Amino acid sequence: MGVLTAEQSVTTRVRRKAWSPAKLAPLLWVGPAMLLIAVVVLWPVVIMIRTAFQHISPDGFILGSAGWKNFVYLWQEPDLPGILIRTVIWVVSIVACTMLISLVLSQLFNQKFPGRRAARWALIAPWAASVMMTSIVFRWALDANNGVINVFLNDIGVLYGYNNNASDWLGRPGSAFTWMIIVAIFVSIPFSTYALLAGLQGIPSDIYEAAKVDGASPWRTYRSITLPLLRPAFIVALLINVMNVFNSFPIIWEMTRGGPGHRTSTTTTFMYQLKQSYIGESAAMSVVNFGMVVIIVLIYLRVTVWGKDEAS
Amino acid sequence: MLKSWLTASTGLAALAALGCGLVSPTAAQAATTLSLVVADYGTGPADTSQKYWQTIADDFHAANPDITVKVQTINWNDFDTKVQTMVQNRQYPDITEGDYFSNYAQEGLLYKASDVFTDPDNLMPVFKTLGSYNGTQYGLPFTTSARALFYNKKIFADDGITTPPATWDEVAADAAKIQAKGKIGFGLPLGPEEAQAETLLWFLGNGGGYQDASGKWVINSPQNVETMEYMTKMVKAGDTEPNPGTKNRTDLFEQFGEGQIGMMNGEVALLPIISKANVLKPEDVGTAAIAGKTGAIDKTLGVCDFVAAFKGDGTKQAEIKKFLDFAYQDKYQLAFVNEYLELPGTTSAAVALAKTNATLAPFVKALPNAVQYPNDPSWAQVKTQIQQIIGTAIGPDPKSVLDTIQQTALKGS
Repeated sequence: MGVLTAEQSVTTRVRRKAWSPAKLAPLLWVGPAMLLIAVVVLWPVVIMIRTAFQHISPDGFILGSAGWKNFVYLWQEPDLPGILIRTVIWVVSIVACTMLISLVLSQLFNQKFPGRRAARWALIAPWAASVMMTSIVFRWALDANNGVINVFLNDIGVLYGYNNNASDWLGRPGSAFTWMIIVAIFVSIPFSTYALLAGLQGIPSDIYEAAKVDGASPWRTYRSITLPLLRPAFIVALLINVMNVFNSFPIIWEMTRGGPGHRTSTTTTFMYQLKQSYIGESAAMSVVNFGMVVIIVLIYLRVTVWGKDEAS
Repeated sequence: MLKSWLTASTGLAALAALGCGLVSPTAAQAATTLSLVVADYGTGPADTSQKYWQTIADDFHAANPDITVKVQTINWNDFDTKVQTMVQNRQYPDITEGDYFSNYAQEGLLYKASDVFTDPDNLMPVFKTLGSYNGTQYGLPFTTSARALFYNKKIFADDGITTPPATWDEVAADAAKIQAKGKIGFGLPLGPEEAQAETLLWFLGNGGGYQDASGKWVINSPQNVETMEYMTKMVKAGDTEPNPGTKNRTDLFEQFGEGQIGMMNGEVALLPIISKANVLKPEDVGTAAIAGKTGAIDKTLGVCDFVAAFKGDGTKQAEIKKFLDFAYQDKYQLAFVNEYLELPGTTSAAVALAKTNATLAPFVKALPNAVQYPNDPSWAQVKTQIQQIIGTAIGPDPKSVLDTIQQTALKGS
């Protein structure tokens, strides 16, 4: 530790004075946003992780540290393996179907046809309507006693009678889960279709003209021009869908509440049900959910970076 | 410039003085607001409990202008969860009416009944233990009910059934006859809404229950397993609606009201649903004792909903007491009985009711004999779990489901 000479200390002071305000200036603009993120995003994450390691009574009294016990209890839940598998099926099937259907629909809506404007508006409806409302409508429509879908299926002779096992769509875990997947696809389609439609409209028309001049077939044009140029829009829509579907709560809650038992629960609804009696264990489930979301985001970042490399 | 500033500041000072003058006397009088959180017994906007309580709150405010009661109504499906969330978040209501859980008393969150009610002896004594923790009463019985088998006399007559079934085999045989004609034989609500009641009624039929006489949990007892096996057999045979684990009581009662169901266990409080459906006449509906394995059970399930007073910051005890004394007057108790066909929670109102109402009198008489839910701090968790998973006990392996619930009970809170 050398002693600073007067000259040195003056220069450091001067230098600091010279560039510290300039360095702090951006903070002035970014600061509020960072503070907001810290309070609204990071702090709850910290609390969540801390809660996962606490022993908490059902009424919210902290009874001390639980160590890893909450995670052990969670892992011992007999229904957990089924719930995890179901969550994967839930996300993969809904997102895959939604993206495929949206690719077709966006292509259709990109064509000029009479009534296109009205058709585009109509497509917004499932998106604009509250998901909860849509779910309740479907739950009623599937009612074993007098649901409109059952009435229709009886009229056309597919089903015979009401209040039997076949007409009780939401009572059997398998068919209930399938119907909820259908509802989830139904409400996810508008957003991804619009995202892809925007992407389609961003593709310059002269490229298509060039392809035409070169004599490329429509399928070839689609594969070599449309799909690659659609990739940014596709990936954004895909990621947002994965997140939305993974976190989806109202559809399952309104249609079956995860029942019978936990046989139509995903990790999101299961987390909520755990919270009623076991707050710590529910927080442990949240941590697991959070980990899964982080993994998805990391995969996304890799994919987008990889997309950029290839484009350049 | 200076002058105007001066006038402005004196004006402000005057305003502030005026403000103080206006505020301080009322502050000394302590304009208290009591938050009252109640379960909704109604079937829609026309008969919501909000109206019932608002009338009391308004009458009370007229008599005590310095106390305002804010009423919040929550539907039954969400009541426990919402109240528990309030407690978890430390946003205690002052008074709740609905389910009462002894764990709140255990944690010292509640006032003793004698602290917030002048005449605790008038509260129905048979439910005193259920509302107590460690020998002290915290829950004040507000409204009670007794269960019975309800049957559709028309359907029974059409299918040649002359007497209501008393044994399980008779239930199954009668239900099969009804089912053969395209209606639901027996309505079995094992969905989350109130599965703990339906399950207990069946357990009782085989000499089982949630706890034995000494208060030990016996959820996975051989009798109970046998009971679930019998129920599974009935469900498989199509004697009940399909997949009972996903069917809620209110929905089934609506179907009963539409004449779609032959019989089901219920309580008089569900009669308004029937009259609302406007398909069955009151004389089409019969009630009988609940069937058991070898004969009708001699005890029914008595259910009691309680008022509980939360301490919060501990400053409102006198106001809560004033309000509860007011709200428990016989006229309000009887108004509740007439509105929802429940039974009263006080002895004086029960005596008055038995004299005037012939339909409800037998139910009032049955109450002192009633079997009740366990009075145990882990009942809250046990109940939640029964509601969620008891439906899956209808199946090949009821024992493992009952084992899981038993473990929850033993694990405690």
